Amino acid sequence: MKKRIIAFVLAATMVAGMTGCGSKSSDSASQGAAGAATSTDLNVMIETGVESLDPQQATDGTSFEVIADYTDGLMQMDADGNPINAIAESYEISEDGCTYTFKLRDDANWSNGKPVTAADFVFAWQRAVDPEVASEYAYMLSDIGQIVNAEEIIAGEKDKSELGVKAVDDKTLEVQLNVPVSYFLSLMYFPTFYPVNEEFFTECGDTFATSPETTLSNGAFVLDDYEPAATAFHLTKNEDYYDASKVSLTGLDYQVIQDSQTALMSYQSNTLDITLVNGDQVEQVSADPEFNTIGAGYLWYVSPNIKDVKELQNLNIRLALTNAINRENVTSQLNDGSLPTYTAVPRDFSADFSADQDKFGAYCADDATAAAKYWEAGLKELGVDSITLEMKVDDDDAPKKVATVLKSEWEETLPGLTVDIVTEPKKQRVQDLQEGEFELGLTRWGPDYDDPMTYLGMWVTDCANNYGFWSNEEYDSIIAECTTGELCTELDARRERLYDAEQLVMEDAVIFPIYTAANATLVKANVSGIEFHPVALNRVYKNTVKE
Amino acid sequence: MKKYVLKRVLTSIGTLLAIVLVLFILMHLMPGSPFNDEKLTDVQREVIYAKYGLDDPIVVQFGRYVVNMCKGDFGVSYKISKNTPISQLIETRLPISIGIGFYAVARGAVIGLILGLLAALKRDTIIDTVCTIVSVIGVSVPSYVFALGLSYTLGFKWKIFPMLYDSADALGSSVMPSIALSMFTMASIARFTRTEMIEVLGSEYMLLAESKGLSGTKLIFTHALRNALIPIITVLAPLVVDLMTGSLVVEKIFAIPGVGSLLVNAIQSNDYNVVIALSFIYSAMYIVIMLVVDILYGIIDPRIRLGKEGD
Repeated sequence: MKKRIIAFVLAATMVAGMTGCGSKSSDSASQGAAGAATSTDLNVMIETGVESLDPQQATDGTSFEVIADYTDGLMQMDADGNPINAIAESYEISEDGCTYTFKLRDDANWSNGKPVTAADFVFAWQRAVDPEVASEYAYMLSDIGQIVNAEEIIAGEKDKSELGVKAVDDKTLEVQLNVPVSYFLSLMYFPTFYPVNEEFFTECGDTFATSPETTLSNGAFVLDDYEPAATAFHLTKNEDYYDASKVSLTGLDYQVIQDSQTALMSYQSNTLDITLVNGDQVEQVSADPEFNTIGAGYLWYVSPNIKDVKELQNLNIRLALTNAINRENVTSQLNDGSLPTYTAVPRDFSADFSADQDKFGAYCADDATAAAKYWEAGLKELGVDSITLEMKVDDDDAPKKVATVLKSEWEETLPGLTVDIVTEPKKQRVQDLQEGEFELGLTRWGPDYDDPMTYLGMWVTDCANNYGFWSNEEYDSIIAECTTGELCTELDARRERLYDAEQLVMEDAVIFPIYTAANATLVKANVSGIEFHPVALNRVYKNTVKE
Repeated sequence: MKKYVLKRVLTSIGTLLAIVLVLFILMHLMPGSPFNDEKLTDVQREVIYAKYGLDDPIVVQFGRYVVNMCKGDFGVSYKISKNTPISQLIETRLPISIGIGFYAVARGAVIGLILGLLAALKRDTIIDTVCTIVSVIGVSVPSYVFALGLSYTLGFKWKIFPMLYDSADALGSSVMPSIALSMFTMASIARFTRTEMIEVLGSEYMLLAESKGLSGTKLIFTHALRNALIPIITVLAPLVVDLMTGSLVVEKIFAIPGVGSLLVNAIQSNDYNVVIALSFIYSAMYIVIMLVVDILYGIIDPRIRLGKEGD
């Protein structure tokens, strides 16, 4: 009996083994993903899968990118990140800047043939603030977009029907704001503001946006192969798209690859047209003409705990710390195109707000001599000759590398200073900083919208992200003036005032900016026109050409 | 025998419940939550917690979870695939992981058996040394090293098998991961077979069989291997489950849409329901396999059955 079992197992294995081997010849041919010569599908690598294709539920960059592949909002981004008309054919802004009237284009249709109407936007935006939907990005409509009643609806104080958006007719959408918002049009390309067709949504019920059958497209591509948490999925060109003549790709083939070595090998064997490169691999590929570094808009900075740590309450000590950093050295260690940063708003962001990196050179520079002077003065004021500080850092490659460089530079330049590095999982580190359980924290912030306020808004008194608990009345009043006050409509004056605010942050060394992060990327030479953005949609493929 | 089986089944169910409780507590002790994005306001966080019932006391959450679980409802994902039922996530992924695991075990067992047999029969020759070296390497080198090596040679250099999992060619895509995973099983089985065979070959009944004039093949397959197999089956069972855990890293390297990669992502993003459901499935599989082995063992080996019937 046992012999028979063994014989069976043996036979089964051999058969299985042979099928495995036998199919090898057919698989390379059947691999559409492997860049067959006839198709001009773009083969895209992503590091993490799609978390949600529901525009009002999605919060991560990958999901936003994919949603935007097949959905157009009122506006879309041009190559420079400026808002240009998409579903909106034209718009009017009232004189007080509080009413936006969008005229929708007549030829915009959903992939089931129904027209895209103003009601689709009203339905979607009401979903975004509906407490039952509990959208994590609801604050894009309230705090940031300042749409009338959004805040009260989120808090459950008003009904969602009272949201300040209405469909005047099928093709006219009217939005009411509490105060003028200078960057409101640039919010319109953010997926939280994308339309959802109510009838279709109701038909799908709980399964909305979980498969090709339960998604509707009104954009350049149509989702045709997808399942939740998929590691590979596909979109094909939308022939009924109003702008279809401009779309040259036949489709997008996405592949989630978490292992950087596998990703690089796949790129080198032409299975991928675009891939991210891990910091350790940069050296191998940096000479390759296909290698690029793309600004990611993230500002990495050190946050000192100004409220609870006596030594860090001393301004001279803080100024010493920020001046003792050699930022050029940090970025050369990272070697991925990251840029040294000496401003509280990162570089290459919001019409290059921080173009002048020497603007606050008196407070923040790579200046060991100045640092030593501040340090001496600070120690004198505190009446001590040595200080030990602890710095909390994410348990990831880049932050650990940066922390090691910072520690050695600080300890070398500032005699008597000892810095202990504590590495923690990111979630723990975030929690510790939020709860004030830290002395120094190495952290980062990515922009939510195309305005310096996405960074400067953090340092107002009692903001949850103001980890150091810094508080300055003048600063609070400038920020208020620029958010809800009279400067909202006077854009040039507002920009100048924001520099005044930034100056306060820098002269008080509220944070020690270190660098603006970049993504090391490989893009095949025959591919052009992928648009990269630090905000909202990181990659846009509508105008991409693959020869 | 019936009483023994019943007792073992009840213990298994109890163990599973205890595992769910421990998992539940561990998950909630982990730092952060699925929703501790720096950008969420306090009001928002309360709204979200209330929606998913995460603001209830942990005892209430546990009770609700167990009740739902008994109905086959493992809840929805909070993070990695928002609001998707866990059962839907696992449905397509589990067969892929099990498939690769099955190939790996089958390959590993058969090759391991052959290597072990050769080593035992040609004891103290060059063949024995080679087999021993192969099994030492197989046991000590982690599966992801084999995976990377295979991916580089067979996938990247020679392009025989796809480097990335392709659902249109599931079998071809399974070859490299299952070979990488099978190395440990193969090595363990080879070592075990060798030891068992040497013991059996030196036993008195083998001497008797040989003196009766039985031919070499019959002697080895009917008498020696048959007796050596019993303990081998017992070590094979837990190896099957070990493969599941080994597949966590291998799935990442080959971008396989299996449950292993799902579990890793879920742990990193505190997606409670996914982690608990998957850990539960792993535990359940382990317990079921151990249960089956225990019962089978009793059936195969009369001495054990007699022993158990006594209690």
